[in-house]
Amino acid sequence: MSQPELSEEDLLQRAGRGDSRAFDQLYDRMAPRLFGLLRQMLHDEREAEDILQDGFVLLWERASTFDPDRSKAFTWAVMLFRHKAIDRMRMLGRRNRLVDSAALEQTTLGAASPPGVDEEVRAHERVLVVGKALNELPKEQRQLIEFAFLKGLTHHVIAESLGIPLGTVKTNIRRGLLRLRDLLKGGA
Amino acid sequence: MMDVERFEELAALNALDMLENDEKRALDGAIARDKEVRTLALELEQTTAELAYLIQPVEPPADMKKRIRAKMRARGIKGAGISRGVVIGGIGWALAACFAMASVWLWREQAGLTQQLAAASRAIAPVNPTTPMVDDGKTRTLEEELRKRRDEFEAQKKALATEIESLNKREAETKAQNARLTAEVAALKEQEQQSQLQIATLQSKVWEYRKSEMLVVWDQKRGQGVVMLEKMPKVESDKDYQLWVVDPSKPNPVSAGVVTVDSKGSVKATFKPVEAVTGEAKFALSVEKKGGVPKSEGQLLMVGP
Repeated sequence: MSQPELSEEDLLQRAGRGDSRAFDQLYDRMAPRLFGLLRQMLHDEREAEDILQDGFVLLWERASTFDPDRSKAFTWAVMLFRHKAIDRMRMLGRRNRLVDSAALEQTTLGAASPPGVDEEVRAHERVLVVGKALNELPKEQRQLIEFAFLKGLTHHVIAESLGIPLGTVKTNIRRGLLRLRDLLKGGA
Repeated sequence: MMDVERFEELAALNALDMLENDEKRALDGAIARDKEVRTLALELEQTTAELAYLIQPVEPPADMKKRIRAKMRARGIKGAGISRGVVIGGIGWALAACFAMASVWLWREQAGLTQQLAAASRAIAPVNPTTPMVDDGKTRTLEEELRKRRDEFEAQKKALATEIESLNKREAETKAQNARLTAEVAALKEQEQQSQLQIATLQSKVWEYRKSEMLVVWDQKRGQGVVMLEKMPKVESDKDYQLWVVDPSKPNPVSAGVVTVDSKGSVKATFKPVEAVTGEAKFALSVEKKGGVPKSEGQLLMVGP
């Protein structure tokens, strides 16, 4: 007889109250997606492992500040880990230049397969919702957002790297993200 | 309208961490002032974070959980696998608290350094974005500095652990010494209770000694005492003061030795009669030949009690 699964929000709140078992479960659920994100951002296995390690220490320390009314546990964690990854990129001097020759076309999201465990139905659903919303954006907006999300570069560098006017980069990012927000909220 | 678009743009770029330093400052100012900008910035950050649902999951190394816990322990962070609310008594608790505080302080110091390095990287960002913000040389320097500070941090931590070990040892030694002293005090108290102290003040009827003071503390059980003399006149060079213990069971006073006073006529000395004194003792002082005599020959100047 299996017990009902706790949501990631519940687990994060419990971790914030010092529940190490909840922290363990949260790690089991989130670590693969976060590690995947870090690997894509940093292009370095060891750096990704370092940030994953540091990120979970930070998550444990900051879990008590999580407010489920303001965000989902996963997006809260993504913001935390992504900021750490960008800090590391900044420290390594990678933030203002493209260290690899990855082109816009090579940097894409949407390749994710849904989590394969039943208890992650919510996450599964969210993958579908986010994937669908992203695909509704015009290609130039979608690609810029994906590129910016995964590369952690400034808009100047993106414009320079991709040979796109700076104003176009800014406009597409702004319009694309606002539209994505509305779509994810359930808007048309 | 322009302002709205401007802040939407800044909030969108911020959500993707794309802003330059000055733009970030402008947005932070607007966020602090305007609730709508604050809400917009948060919404867009969350929208961006949702993109991570689309990332292909990758299993981290199997030992990652252990490594996270090890890092927590190394940083002295209360956390997974580490008991919260451990009670350590006495000085040990204080030491543990000091250690924890020092570890947290050192960890914060390290975190601060990391931030400083990141801030330094931002600060030296060039106006022209096509030029790398931090060239390889600077990056190496920053990394070396970070590594150096990490090494210093580790060394400080080791030194602190050694110091705590030494303090623990000293604490144990102090406890043992304290126990020894307590036992000694108890023994002395017992001795004091068992001893039969007698305090006697001696007075003189001789005119020259009217201002002189003599006090004898006599321990009957041990058969010894302390004599204190003040304002005693000088004796001739071939004479000495001699102390006597008058035992009613003996025909003659028992000599307790010669007492030599200083230039002010004062002295404090222990004495032990040459024979055992069994009865209730009285004390007397006389002036005798230099070096003392076995049997009193001179006048008894002071007698008491």
